[in-house]
Amino acid sequence: MHLMTRILAPAALVLLLCGSAFAANIETATPTTPAQAESMKTELAPSQTLLAYGDEDIWDENGQLIKRTHGAKTETPGDLAAQTPDPLEGWNRMWFGFNDKLYFWALKPVAQGYSTVIPERPRIWVRNFFHNLMYPVRFTSLMLQGKFDAAAVETSRFIGNTAFGLGGLADVTSDNKTFRPIPSTEQDLGLTFGYWGADNGMYLVWPFLGPSSARDTVGYVGDHFLTPTTYIHPWYWSVAAKGYDKVNAISFRIGDYEAVKEASLDPYEAVRDGYLRMRFKKMND
Amino acid sequence: MKKLTNILGALALVVCFASVALAGEPQDRLKAGIDNVITILSDAGLKAANKRTERQNKLRAVADTFFDWRELSRRAAAENWAKFSPKQQEDFVTTFSELLQKTYIRKLEKYNNEKVNYLKEQIEGDQAFINTQVQMKDKSIPINYIMIKREKWLVYDVFVEGVSLVKNYRTQFAKILSKDSPEELLQRMKDKIKAIDNGQNVDDKVGG
Repeated sequence: MHLMTRILAPAALVLLLCGSAFAANIETATPTTPAQAESMKTELAPSQTLLAYGDEDIWDENGQLIKRTHGAKTETPGDLAAQTPDPLEGWNRMWFGFNDKLYFWALKPVAQGYSTVIPERPRIWVRNFFHNLMYPVRFTSLMLQGKFDAAAVETSRFIGNTAFGLGGLADVTSDNKTFRPIPSTEQDLGLTFGYWGADNGMYLVWPFLGPSSARDTVGYVGDHFLTPTTYIHPWYWSVAAKGYDKVNAISFRIGDYEAVKEASLDPYEAVRDGYLRMRFKKMND
Repeated sequence: MKKLTNILGALALVVCFASVALAGEPQDRLKAGIDNVITILSDAGLKAANKRTERQNKLRAVADTFFDWRELSRRAAAENWAKFSPKQQEDFVTTFSELLQKTYIRKLEKYNNEKVNYLKEQIEGDQAFINTQVQMKDKSIPINYIMIKREKWLVYDVFVEGVSLVKNYRTQFAKILSKDSPEELLQRMKDKIKAIDNGQNVDDKVGG
């Protein structure tokens, strides 16, 4: 595993740097010729014509009234997040297709078989166990976001579930409500960077991991080192543990991806838009 | 301590009922619509496999009473709407709403007595935003609705976990219409509906 991370991490970083440089290029490029200016205009067109078209949003996706500053912004912050550039679309579509096949040919049949053999109750235990195990990721992210109350609650949940829930198999703390409402504790480093103000950079699809962005990829690398299962020795047991977590998680969500795919005319676009908007919402929860 | 929680609980109950009592017209309309859907979904007599079409037709009839398909389609097509001919617009509304109903009714068929909580209602002019939460076994999913006032209040957009139905389709339509003609888009939607009707598997196709 160490060798793999040593190779993978720099590779991911290099890719990212290239990616963000590429994205920055697109943003800062100034049109030099009229023809270029024209093509820039058509690229900007959708949001502008939408504006002219008069579809104004009164609320954002959570029901928050949008304050329209300068009378020009009719797009919600979530819309802006969904407009994250996708300069590597062809590349991303290829991995999207790969993940699609991976799901239908491998993950789904395995998860289906698994869920017919193992009843729901034990599968929930397994899910609780892995969720409890991911505590370092949530704690670190919440601390870095300055959400100390949520971090404290998450810590007491972790201690409670580990000590009294058979090492996290049972979620004994889920019924306990907090005195004051706390922000969502389902945070990771990618969301933390976003919370700090970092843009998505660009949209990316990774094999096995699925939709992501430049920002979330950096976050994922960090999360990777905060995940206890990463440090299982030898490396193939670590991979097996993570794979088992994944299959177990999928056994609860069979049909979700199918529904999205069935309802959409361009599944790649639907998933991209959905991913970016969901992440944006999670960031602000 | 126990007393305090009791008082708090009572207070919370009062607040809940107060918000129910204060619900305005849009929320009442939405609730009536959703309740109708739930009634059909929980009707044991319609659960049999041979009653499937009947149930679907009933669900569609109910959905038609509180969804504004035209407004929804217009907003999903966005700037391309103006480029459609009036006939294409009509065709688009019919086809798109059929596609949505087909695919969403399928999702609803998994309904298992989940409870819908109405959290908040806001009205601005002729539009209303309603926050709801669907209580599942192990988690709750936020589902929000935007309604517009016609003769009655009608839903024109649904947000599931922060993802707008209209806007999700808007990006897809924009993408397709940047390459293909409106006719081709319509054909594509019709093919999709036909594939769903024939019970074709989504597994084999990536492009859609």
